Amino acid sequence: MPSTISQNKIDKNLVTRRTAILGAGGVGVFGVLGARLYQLQVLQAEDYRTLSDNNRFNFNMLLPERGEIKDRFGVPLARNRQNFRLVMIPERTSEIGKTLDRVSRISPISPRQRESIEKDIRQNPKFVPILVKDNVDWETFTALNMQLHALPGIVSEAGQGRAYPENGVFSHVLGYIGRASQKDIEGDDDPLLKQPTFRIGKTGVEAAEEKTLRGSSGKLKVEVNARGRIVREWPDPETRAKRGKDVWLTLDAELQEFAAKQFATEDEGDDSGGVCLIDVLTGELRTLLSMPTFDANLFVSGLTQSDMDRMNSDPKRPQYNKAIAGGYPPASTYKMVVMLAALESGLIDPRKTVFCSGKLRLGNRTFHCWKRQGHGKMDMRDALKNSCDTYFYDISQIIGIDAIAGVARRLGLGESYDISIGGSISGIVPTESWKQQRFGTGWRMGDTLNASIGQGFVLATPLQLAVMTARIANTQDAVLPNLVIGQSLPNFEPLDFNPVHLAYVRDAMWSVTSEPGGTAYRQNPFGTDTTVKGIEMAGKTGTGQVRGISAAERATGIRKNEKLPWKLRDHSIFVGFAPYDRPRFAIGTIVEHGGSGSKRAADISRAVLGEALRRDGLGQASALDPGALR
Amino acid sequence: MVARGGSFQGAVSASGGSLTGKLYEINWLLPTLVGVLGLVGVTMIFAATDGVWRYGAFQHFVRIGFGGLVMLAVALIDIRVWYRLAYPAYAVGLIMLIGVEFVGLEVNGSVRWLDFGFTRLQPSEFMKPAIVLALARYYHDLPAHRVSHVAGLLGALILLILPMVLILRQPDLGTTLLLATTGVVVVFLAGISWRVIGFASLFASVAIPLFFKFGLKPYQQERVWTYLDPARDPSGASYHITQSKIALGSGGVNGKGFMRGTQRQGEYVPENRTDFIFTVIGEEFGLVGGLLTIGLYMAVIAVCIWLSLQCKEMFSKLLVLGLTTTFTLYIFINLGMVMGLAPVVGVPLPLISYGGTVVLAVMGGFGLMLSAHLHRGIELPRTG
Repeated sequence: MPSTISQNKIDKNLVTRRTAILGAGGVGVFGVLGARLYQLQVLQAEDYRTLSDNNRFNFNMLLPERGEIKDRFGVPLARNRQNFRLVMIPERTSEIGKTLDRVSRISPISPRQRESIEKDIRQNPKFVPILVKDNVDWETFTALNMQLHALPGIVSEAGQGRAYPENGVFSHVLGYIGRASQKDIEGDDDPLLKQPTFRIGKTGVEAAEEKTLRGSSGKLKVEVNARGRIVREWPDPETRAKRGKDVWLTLDAELQEFAAKQFATEDEGDDSGGVCLIDVLTGELRTLLSMPTFDANLFVSGLTQSDMDRMNSDPKRPQYNKAIAGGYPPASTYKMVVMLAALESGLIDPRKTVFCSGKLRLGNRTFHCWKRQGHGKMDMRDALKNSCDTYFYDISQIIGIDAIAGVARRLGLGESYDISIGGSISGIVPTESWKQQRFGTGWRMGDTLNASIGQGFVLATPLQLAVMTARIANTQDAVLPNLVIGQSLPNFEPLDFNPVHLAYVRDAMWSVTSEPGGTAYRQNPFGTDTTVKGIEMAGKTGTGQVRGISAAERATGIRKNEKLPWKLRDHSIFVGFAPYDRPRFAIGTIVEHGGSGSKRAADISRAVLGEALRRDGLGQASALDPGALR
Repeated sequence: MVARGGSFQGAVSASGGSLTGKLYEINWLLPTLVGVLGLVGVTMIFAATDGVWRYGAFQHFVRIGFGGLVMLAVALIDIRVWYRLAYPAYAVGLIMLIGVEFVGLEVNGSVRWLDFGFTRLQPSEFMKPAIVLALARYYHDLPAHRVSHVAGLLGALILLILPMVLILRQPDLGTTLLLATTGVVVVFLAGISWRVIGFASLFASVAIPLFFKFGLKPYQQERVWTYLDPARDPSGASYHITQSKIALGSGGVNGKGFMRGTQRQGEYVPENRTDFIFTVIGEEFGLVGGLLTIGLYMAVIAVCIWLSLQCKEMFSKLLVLGLTTTFTLYIFINLGMVMGLAPVVGVPLPLISYGGTVVLAVMGGFGLMLSAHLHRGIELPRTG
């Protein structure tokens, strides 16, 4: 078949030609591939190496350890402890529900907790660890760890938790920590706040000293794979998280604890009230207590609804910081203010007596003295010693409310202090213009009379009463209270009262506690142990009326406090300082509905002042009189 | 036909030559190069699976060995047998593809597999050599003057389009395009006139956009778009390309060292045991390793072309060149994809990527080439 053979020949050449064409094309394509490889691996290699490192390395935020809060002697009031917890990284599991079921079989998760976990999971990116269980005890923690392989997405970790070891007596001062709210995050661009496991101070010192306590975040370079799982860690000491600084308070933990114990009653639980003990010279607060207390640890570990309800429905309002935010009529403790105003005005001769018949008529109103039958003839000193209301009704009309208010302000009333924790109220020092502004009505002489015995519009906190007393005791300086050691404090302004007038007031206060017949007289106010025996104090009682007493009741006999419902009983108030001759500490105490100031508040104040002196060693020093050394 | 130089040129085998003689006559350069590529594959799979033999390297090793035996067996079988089997093989391939249509296994949204109980097969892989066999036979039988005629064109077109449609329906765009290109190359080699080529190109420039619009599934269109603009969806489909380029680029000239690839360790490149295995080569052995691998492939292709030149029969030539084309296209598409020059279509790197069917298909293909070369002295009949 010659045709077939020639046909074959033609085909062969054609195929060879076309093979060459395609072969050349193929070499071209390989050339392009080779060139591309060259471009990627030589020309752009540096860029891709960077990208590869970016892939490979992540920077994990390291949370700083929070600074501790200590008392003046270094006793920890808020500290960190190992906190075993479980977190879930949602992207590591597709069965979030099942995993949570399994966790709750080992350690129960309440429906409410579960809801909030699921909400967190929904609201955060899938790689952010979500807290599932906090404060897990060691046994449960190990049990969960054994089961970890069956709990995909769950990571167990030992983090830092906050603990308040002091039985809650510092709860009001310290406040508590919690997760940053949306508002917190908006006001602070620290990226730490966005970490779901990070906690910031919410109230009290924890909030006020947040910047000091927080520290700063660190970075940990980690090598991760495509699914975000850490393959290797590259720790670098340079980028460690910086621990927050400790905050030292001026408070004395044991004294505070002691003071809290004094509020205990036999049958009605803890009394409600506040006590504030202040250093007369420096303004350092040794005790700042509000009773009853609550356990701040509950706020850290998560408050249950029943805890919350119990606290909110308690008539003694445990959450409320009465020492700085509770405004009470100072009652007779305001009489020192009136007294000092009288002396400073020069209008009143302290030796001049006023006759107390038990009441004073002003127009068609009758103002009663607490002593129905009257005190008889009273000079200024006796009036304070016996707390004669009539005397102060009388002189206040002469000196006028504005002079009284001026002295009150200079003694530190009607002012809210910056003691670093928030919540202090300013109380009320009424004046004519204040009433006009507040009620739109004119001042009446009756208002002056009420104010002269610390009733009516006057309101003060235990802290303010303590400051007032400290200033009276200090003579020279307008002492300012302070709570945090190292807190920047303005220089104390000069008090600018005539020292003789102040000495007169102090002497009158001494007569209240140290002269037989004084409303708070005790022979050895602090007990008879050698350290405090012989130390004298000065003070003033106050009984704050919370109800009106009708004429009918006066006629038939005023009901005794013990017979009244708790809510209607008088507030028991006491202020004082010691030692009398060399004042060191001043105290302001209010016991809500505690009855007469000469009883509950005076007892507590004496005990706390005495304990403060004992702890300070001051009593001992004074007991060592020079003669004994010789 | 007269045997050249007295040595075996197929004439002996035509009369039943000895098996050892045939084995001796096989072009051993090709199996050697193929074996080397297979071992490169074993090594890289070993690296890609973090050095665990049983995660693929061992299986690949066994498959390369078994594939080698298949290759030699296929090579020893007389080319006339393959010539006769060309159409039946094509028919079997078609039937299996139709079978996939009805009883195929679905994997990842595509129905590509047939389950035979003892093994699973991808008929589309089988179809790749089968279509070459069929087209080679077709053109072998077709007189040259009818190659560019309407009837001649139509026959080739039907042979090509039937399996293409069936594979596209699975859907498997990569294989469809591969099949189409292989077919076009064979038609081109068969001597189609430039005039027809001109018309066809014109037609294609109109048909391809239409096909894209109406013939492709949304995810297939997406792949093409992603290729055209990788920044479109950085976490989605182009994630493959981006991470793949990072792996290659960060390898630099010398690579990060065997088993030291951080992109690989971090599992940033998905499928780096199969389709994206070149990223492991590029990252751990750098430009040097990449170019050496490409060089090996070029050597294999060059040997294949050289084999085709020695063949005398149209069937043999087209068979060898067609199979070479398929092999080459695998490499082009895969490397182009890995380097970010072609869309991600899921084509393995032959002999190196993990995957049993592909290894068998490719090595069986080499067996056919070797057979064509071994029996190059035998004259094939022309029934056209």
